[in-house]
Amino acid sequence: MSSLSEVASVDAAQRSVALTVDASLYPLGAIYGAAYVFLDRCYVLLDKPDAAHVRVTLSWKKGEPPEGALVALAGEFANELLSCAWRAKIAEESRAVIESTTARALSGAMGAPSLDDLEKFEFGDEAFEDPLGIAMSWEEKYGKNKKAAEEKKEEAGK
Amino acid sequence: MIELRFHRDLYRGESVDAAAKALAPYATAIDRAEEPAHWILRVAASNPERERRVAGEIANRALGITVRGAG
Repeated sequence: MSSLSEVASVDAAQRSVALTVDASLYPLGAIYGAAYVFLDRCYVLLDKPDAAHVRVTLSWKKGEPPEGALVALAGEFANELLSCAWRAKIAEESRAVIESTTARALSGAMGAPSLDDLEKFEFGDEAFEDPLGIAMSWEEKYGKNKKAAEEKKEEAGK
Repeated sequence: MIELRFHRDLYRGESVDAAAKALAPYATAIDRAEEPAHWILRVAASNPERERRVAGEIANRALGITVRGAG
C-alpha cells in the first residue's frame, strides 16, 4: 500500500503538487470525475508518463498557498478519486438492473396494448405452476378458515 | 513562456483547440505544436503571473470540455 508522500510530490516554486495514479486501480472515468471536481479550486493538468500511470498536477490558483495546503489538496484529491472509483464500480455492477428497470418503465409508459398486440398474446386455459402457493389466499394456504374458503369457492363456481 | 503538454490519450484535440481559442484574448501569443503522444501549447502573456493564470485556465478548460464530451 502506497502512502500519500510516496505518490505525491510538492513543487513549492511552481505552487503545485503532483500525484501519480495507478491506472489499473483507478479507471480513467474516475480520474476525470475527481479532476473535474477540483477545477474550481486549482489548475488541473493530466499526463501519462507511462502506460500504467496517470500523473495529476494540481496548481494553486491565487497567491501563496498556506503551509501544508498543497499536501492537504493532494489528500483531498486522493479521497475524491477513491469515491469516484467506488461510484463507477457500483454503477457498473448495477447496470443490468438499471437497464432492465428502465426498459420495463418505458414499455409501460408506451400505453395500453393495441388490438394487434392482444391478438398475438397467448391466453391459455392451463393453470400456471404455483409450487410455493403464492397465488393462494391466506385461508386456502393455512387452512384456518379452510372450510369457509371452500364454501366461498363453491359459491363462486356456481 | 509556459509549455502545456496535453496527452492524446487523455485530452481530445478539439477540446485543446477550443480552450486555446477561448483564452487567446488574454495571452500575447499561443503557439501550437504536435508530438506523437501530445498536443503542445506554448503560452506567453504580459507578465509571468498572468502567463501562469492563462496557462492554468487553458488546462482547466481543455479538461472540462474533454470530460463533458466523454460523459
